[in-house]
Amino acid sequence: MGNVTLFERMLITGANRIADGAVLFVGFHWPMLMARVARRLHAPNIVVVYENGIVEDRLTSLFPTSPCDLTAAEKATTCAGSLEALYMWLGAGRVQMTMLEAAIVDRFGNVNTTVVGPYLKPKVRLPGSGGGTELSSLGRGLFLVSASTNKRSYPDRVDYITSPGYLGGRAERERFGYKPGTGPQTLVNPLGIFRFNDNGEMYAAAVHPGVGPEQVHASFGWPITIASDCAMLPEPSAEQVVVTREEIASARTRSYLMPEG
Amino acid sequence: MELKPVLTLREAVNRYIPDGQEVMIGGFAFSDPTALAHELIRQRRKGLYVMKTSGGVLVDMLIGSGCVDRVLFCHIWNSVGPVPAHCFRRALEQGIPNSVQVEELSFGAVTMALLAGACDLPFMPTTPVQGAGHFTQRTFLSDKFALVDSPFGGGSVSVVKPIKPALGVFHVHRVDRLGNAQFFGPAGELRYSIAACKKVIVIAEEMVDTEVVRERPEVTVAPGFMVEAIVIEPWAAHPTDSYGYYLRDLQHNDLYGEMTRTEEGFRRYVDEWIIGTGDHRGFVAKLGEEQRAKLRLRKEPW
Repeated sequence: MGNVTLFERMLITGANRIADGAVLFVGFHWPMLMARVARRLHAPNIVVVYENGIVEDRLTSLFPTSPCDLTAAEKATTCAGSLEALYMWLGAGRVQMTMLEAAIVDRFGNVNTTVVGPYLKPKVRLPGSGGGTELSSLGRGLFLVSASTNKRSYPDRVDYITSPGYLGGRAERERFGYKPGTGPQTLVNPLGIFRFNDNGEMYAAAVHPGVGPEQVHASFGWPITIASDCAMLPEPSAEQVVVTREEIASARTRSYLMPEG
Repeated sequence: MELKPVLTLREAVNRYIPDGQEVMIGGFAFSDPTALAHELIRQRRKGLYVMKTSGGVLVDMLIGSGCVDRVLFCHIWNSVGPVPAHCFRRALEQGIPNSVQVEELSFGAVTMALLAGACDLPFMPTTPVQGAGHFTQRTFLSDKFALVDSPFGGGSVSVVKPIKPALGVFHVHRVDRLGNAQFFGPAGELRYSIAACKKVIVIAEEMVDTEVVRERPEVTVAPGFMVEAIVIEPWAAHPTDSYGYYLRDLQHNDLYGEMTRTEEGFRRYVDEWIIGTGDHRGFVAKLGEEQRAKLRLRKEPW
């Protein structure tokens, strides 16, 4: 099956975290691909909800380009709205796992999808929140995904907090009245799995085969801690690789831009 | 019961959307009434205050054409790819073609703000937002959020101010002569957004008899008494999807993303696809039957 790329490993590692039968709130982009890979491999019974009110409980014939690509609503059991999705399902705790892409994420799991540089004089203007703020404010079992290993994607502190993580630390988030059980629990990226310590600071918990400590350190804008029991993730099975590659190929036909390498 | 005026898109823009108008435009990356943006560009509108939950290609082209002074939104991008909304970026990063004032709310917060507006309530509680950029960074809606002590215990609660747009234009699937507007599929914030507006225009894919409306009363998102005027314009939401009618046009999104990388490319897009087509019927003709056939979901003609 050739060399498994770190991007492919990321998708498989993320998919592996999804338990069969779970209700998932899935945000735009790679989380959608992970959920689809999981559904095809070990989790056929997951129930995916999107911010626009779609409930997707089986494999759609086409891979949607975004949650608002209505191929996601093909034969859906429920087409509701944003009040249901964001408040009645996500906010009320009816969702077990929340998946959010984190284009830029800092030491405390704060996500920036709004602006690099000053807000009123942007160096790079990004799209903005969509429902991303709610996913991290209200979502239980929050799981962040980033396909980047570039230091610029992992600054010490983000320029703008679009989706609040632990802000300046876990205590600050609690003080502001965010519900218990919310806040990022995990980040999966091409290097492996990252978690958050008692202070809400991110650390490396497990790495993909071939990823060493230098590569981890070089990818983060602060001196990130590597857990003393940091494990090596297992090699994926042939079936996992085949299915993941099929889904990547299908995403390409749906205009998805893939990371290089 | 009162029959509602049926206008062409040109008449509707001419009558209801002068320079400087405040307008909520419906759609959440599906049912975006792109045909409205085209007509605003053809009529060279300036100084608009645009509200749009999901900005997309529609807001991008309005900004690139210099129609917009202020925009309130949740995000603005071309979600196919995804690729940047190039005109939006040029405006915010370089002031090209003009600087645009931006104000942002997350999708949940805007849903609640519209619900408050729709119900004529003084505010609505929303998700905790302290510590988030949206809470601290405010531009022209300096009082968009506040904190209140819950009268029922449990500490402070983030609340949003109602949004009550002066005018709203929404893409719907079908409408009757009385203005009863029906919408199928996921609705996002549509129902609250329509009800929050002081005046509502619907752009429908088709006009149907009231007896047809009566067959599915539960999908009426605006009873006729909430609707001011009607426009009938098939394919009005292209290149976004229209549930049960047509799919998202990925090729056109790609084309738009590619051409709008440069100002010059954007001007060519506008000349070719907006000005050059004359009106929406011309745009649909240019799209061509072959492409429409690929996207069409609905078997019977409309």
